[in-house]
Order: sequence, then C-alpha cells, then structure tokens
Amino acid sequence: MVASAPALTLPLDRKVKKEEDRELVRLSQGGTETAFEELVRRHQQRVFALVGGILRRPEDVEDVAQQVFLKAYLGIKRFDQRAAFSTWLYKIAVNECWDYLRKKKVRPLVYEADLSEEQVSRLDGIVSADRPPEGPNARAEAREVLDRMLASLPEQDRQLLVLKEMEGFSVQELAEILDLNVNTVKVRLFRARGRIMDVYRRRMDAGKKSAGSRPARRNG
Amino acid sequence: MATGTEFEYAACSKYEAVLEDYLEGALSAADARNAENHWRDCAACRDALEQATASVRLLRAAGPSDGPGPAFARVVMARIREAEQDRSAERAGLWQPIVSLAWRFAATAMLALGVLITYDAGWWRHAQPDVTTARLIGVTDLLSPEPARPPADRDEVLMMVADNNHAK
Repeated sequence: MVASAPALTLPLDRKVKKEEDRELVRLSQGGTETAFEELVRRHQQRVFALVGGILRRPEDVEDVAQQVFLKAYLGIKRFDQRAAFSTWLYKIAVNECWDYLRKKKVRPLVYEADLSEEQVSRLDGIVSADRPPEGPNARAEAREVLDRMLASLPEQDRQLLVLKEMEGFSVQELAEILDLNVNTVKVRLFRARGRIMDVYRRRMDAGKKSAGSRPARRNG
Repeated sequence: MATGTEFEYAACSKYEAVLEDYLEGALSAADARNAENHWRDCAACRDALEQATASVRLLRAAGPSDGPGPAFARVVMARIREAEQDRSAERAGLWQPIVSLAWRFAATAMLALGVLITYDAGWWRHAQPDVTTARLIGVTDLLSPEPARPPADRDEVLMMVADNNHAK
C-alpha cells in the first residue's frame, strides 16, 4: 500500500508579505529604524529556526540570531532586492552559523549514545503509529534522541533533514538558502531519509537486543 | 532499477526527486497517479517511500526549535544602536588627526594671508602718492616752503642729518 503524503500548505498571503518586505527594506535603506525593527519581528521566528536547526545548541542560538540581524542592518544599503529579503537574510544566517562553528571549532553535535528501553519503545510508537510525543518533556526527550541519531549522519544530510522536517523549510527555500539546485535538494533529502532510517533501525535493534539480554527482575 | 546506495532503502533514481515532491504534496494529480502506479509494481520504490514517510513522522516528533522571546526585536535594535554609536565613534577617531591637521593648516594659512595683506597694503600706500595731498601741494607750492617729506634714499637721509646738525 502506498503511504499518503502530507499536504503542502503555503501561506496564502506570501506574495503580499514579500511586497511588504520590499517596502520595509526600501524604508530601512532610507534610514527608518522602525521599518527594520518590523523586518526583525517578521523574520525572527524563521531565523531562530534556521540557526537552531544548524547549531542545535539552544544556548548559542539567540546570540547568533542577533548577530545575523546586525549584519543584515549593516549591509541593507547594499542589498539590491533582486532576491527576496528572506532569502538574503537566511543566507546571512547560514554563513553566520558556519563562521560561528568554525570559530568555536566544534561540530554542531558531538555526542552519541545507546537508547534506553523506554526510549526505544516511545520512538517505535512515534514511527509506526504516528503518535507524536505529548507535552514539552516528551518532545524534549524525542529531540535529544533524534539529535543523537542525526549526529551519525554526514553534516549536509543532517542539516537538510533538520531544516526540512523539524524547522519546516520548503525544498525551494532550502535550494535558495544553500545555493543548490532544487532537484539536487530533493535527491539529497531522499537519500538522507534513507540514511536516518538506517540509523534508526540499527539503534532500535541494538536497544531491543540489550533489553532482551538484561536479566529479569526478581520480586522479593 | 534501484540505485546502488550504501543504505538499505533505495529507489529507482528517476523516482527519487518525484518521491520528495509526493511527500510534499507538490505533484499534480496526474503525476501522483503515475508515481503510484510505478510504486505498485516496484517493491524497492515502495519500501523507499514507506521509509521516507516514516522518516517524516520520526523527524517531526521533536518539533521546531524554541522561538525567540518577546523582547528579541527590541534587544536586536538596542544592539544595532550600540553598534552604530561604536561605528560613529570609530569613524570620528579615524578622522580626528586629519581634521586637527586641517585646522592647523587653515589657521597658518589665515595668518600668512593676514601678514601678506598688511604688508601689501603698506607697500601700496607707500608706492602710490596721495592724490589729495598732491593736489594741495600743487596749489600751495608757490606760496609755502617745500613741505617735509620722508627721505627717499640714503643720500637724502645723510643730507637731512647734516642739515639738522647744521641748524643746531
């Protein structure tokens, strides 16, 4: 049986928002500070998602996101509006993340560990029955487990999967932000999905084996 | 034919990108029907699609990262203002020695100009005979003795000194 695809929902007023962005950019280029503040308000959520998706370190996200907007403000007079403001801003964000990681000389993720029996069973429930974790604690745990699994993927695969599935960027947006052909993004995403599912299956098998080899608890 | 990749679930290379479009719901009805027909006949592609769908469920379980706090935009604007102030101070610091040098140069030039004008005015007054005085001299020339005039050269000075001594 063929699995059903989730429907793509694009905001209806996207075109209007782009036009408004253009006007806000024009005003910002003329020195209107409040116009730039409005641009910050409009794009802060996506910039946070993008930076968070690449760094996966909540403690660093705010600082890097601020730096992204500061760079955008300082460079806005040179922005010719040939691309959408959001694309230009997200490219600044991606570059800023890589600069940050390079300066700190760290990989976005550095740890990897086995899953506990409970984690295995919870993940199994999510994947087989599409039962999303309920409550902030369950989501935080799912995120931690996923981060561990994503750590074993090549950096580009990890980035694509996180930005696409966790942070909600479209294929088109990813192609623009990462300077890739749309088809290349699709193929890479498809292959990255295969890799993460391989990791998932291996972890699940290892978790089940370790649970099975554990001696049964005796009462009394 | 399924592609030979290093992971377990591989689809026909032609359908890799199509599968992503299908997951995103971006295929037209006709294209989606074609793809579904293919997946019905191709076990590798069917497995790949199922795994890809499972990966969506797995990855979306965590949800997006935390968003910014309510004061984020204000904090950004404050940081921008601070950076702007730093930049202006830096710019002023960069031009300060040049501006100071320019003022000194201007002051020196003004002083030199003043001296030149004063000197020039004195020389002009000296070189041009006063017309009014000249006219008066012309009228009274026959009636009064020669008016005193400053000696023109060294000989006249010596003559004046000798005259004075003789008068005494």
